[in-house]
Amino acid sequence: MTDLNKRIHDIRKPLNSISMQAELIKMMTDSSESNENLNAAADKIILNAKRCSEMLQTLFEDVAIDAEKGQVNKPLE
Amino acid sequence: MKSILLIDDDTEFTEVASHIIEFLGHMVSVADTVEDAKQWLDTNEFDHLLIDFMLPDGSGLHVYEYLQQKPRMPKVTFITGNPKIKSAISHIAGPSVNYLMKPIEREDLESVLSPKKANKTPRAASSKQTAQVSSTCAHFDCLVGESDAMQHLYTMIKRVAASNANVMLMGESGVGKELVAEAIHNASETQGDLIATNCGGLSKELIGSELFGHEKGAFTGAVAQKKGVFERAQQGTLFLDEVTEMPIDMQPNLLRVLETKRVNRVGGTQEIPINCRVISATNKTLDQIATEHILREDIYFRLAVFPIEIPPLRARKTDIALLANKFLADLNQEHDQHYQLSAAQIERLNQHDWPGNVRELRHTLHRSFIMSQPGAKTLELPSSFASPFSQKQKASNVIGAGSTIEQVEKALIYATLDEVDGNKTSAAEMLGISTKTLYNRLHAYGEDI
Repeated sequence: MTDLNKRIHDIRKPLNSISMQAELIKMMTDSSESNENLNAAADKIILNAKRCSEMLQTLFEDVAIDAEKGQVNKPLE
Repeated sequence: MKSILLIDDDTEFTEVASHIIEFLGHMVSVADTVEDAKQWLDTNEFDHLLIDFMLPDGSGLHVYEYLQQKPRMPKVTFITGNPKIKSAISHIAGPSVNYLMKPIEREDLESVLSPKKANKTPRAASSKQTAQVSSTCAHFDCLVGESDAMQHLYTMIKRVAASNANVMLMGESGVGKELVAEAIHNASETQGDLIATNCGGLSKELIGSELFGHEKGAFTGAVAQKKGVFERAQQGTLFLDEVTEMPIDMQPNLLRVLETKRVNRVGGTQEIPINCRVISATNKTLDQIATEHILREDIYFRLAVFPIEIPPLRARKTDIALLANKFLADLNQEHDQHYQLSAAQIERLNQHDWPGNVRELRHTLHRSFIMSQPGAKTLELPSSFASPFSQKQKASNVIGAGSTIEQVEKALIYATLDEVDGNKTSAAEMLGISTKTLYNRLHAYGEDI
């Protein structure tokens, strides 16, 4: 697996978590689950969204550095 | 309520997936390594395994291999974030194996864990689901065949599905007893799940716990309360496969549950009412059941309120082309190929006796699919379909040099009698001898006529 592939795989993890936690919230709402559990699931969505954003930013910066070195194409601005 | 084993080392995923599975009304256990999964499988029976492909100490395929040593194969769904998994599991594709892509949605899980319920929900019928769960859509969503023998079977399934009678399925290995159980369940207006267990694969120590459940601390290793299959099949269907393999000394306990419709967990004091149809299955014949003392008579009559004999494939040869084309179409769709069977190849399939029945036909097609040239149009069938079983059957009928005329005559007479279910008049006609001569011969062989 190339480094880029691995990093894309890593970014999918928090995205998957966001999607499934949102699914869980929908199910909890249908079954009148406690606010505490709903909040916990929502917190995990926020945490994973931040994690995903940071990973994308790092990836963007690394690609930009590589582009300056002429190793890969310059990323789209 | 199904018992699910979720195998994945991503704790965040297993935590949220477990919640969703529990919301869908199932029990879930979690393993994070291949070794952990093996330990769960050694001590528990599961209805369905959800397996991540990449695990810290191996691959999901290692778990699958281990599973194949077990007497009953639960359904398996590989979970992956990588679409290339399809090619990795191509050699094990079948009706009991499929895959799901992360992120998993509620409908995905409903579709693989409770297809009957998912089919009733319009939103579950998305194209994504249809593509992922390649199910055989035919009679009762699972049976393929239009022969007279199958039409008769469908009529019986419809009639028994309208009642709540217990059913005993009889038939040779590979005829599809579990699929017929699924068909009866699908045709029934039940709310609960279809729960299956293999009575032949349970040790004496575990069978009570598996069937009836246990309370925490009931015995060494009972670290938590466990519901048995009768409780998990509440409002649904319980499928007891290989029921004639159940130890005879455990059968009174089963009889009691069937009679009282109440179950007592091992180590428990409270009787729990149960309400499920019991479908049992055996590959023994009625004669074997009666003479070999493998099933108590009282249990037989409780289980076989409605006995159904499933025809072997050789008794419905007109279905062979239909089944072969269906299996091939499923494989083509799964692997994006366009193989076809020629008329001559279908004729070859028709000529074989298929002692392993539909299972053998499916495996033969699958093997041919793997061996065929990718991108070609015609499937490459093997030069011989011979299996150890077909060879054994033929060998028993072959009379080689050195046999005496008397031996050959005796073998011929008994083979003819078998063919006509013991009717001596018909056998004599077929043999071209008088009935009196046939009786004389049988008398000479020591038969009590």
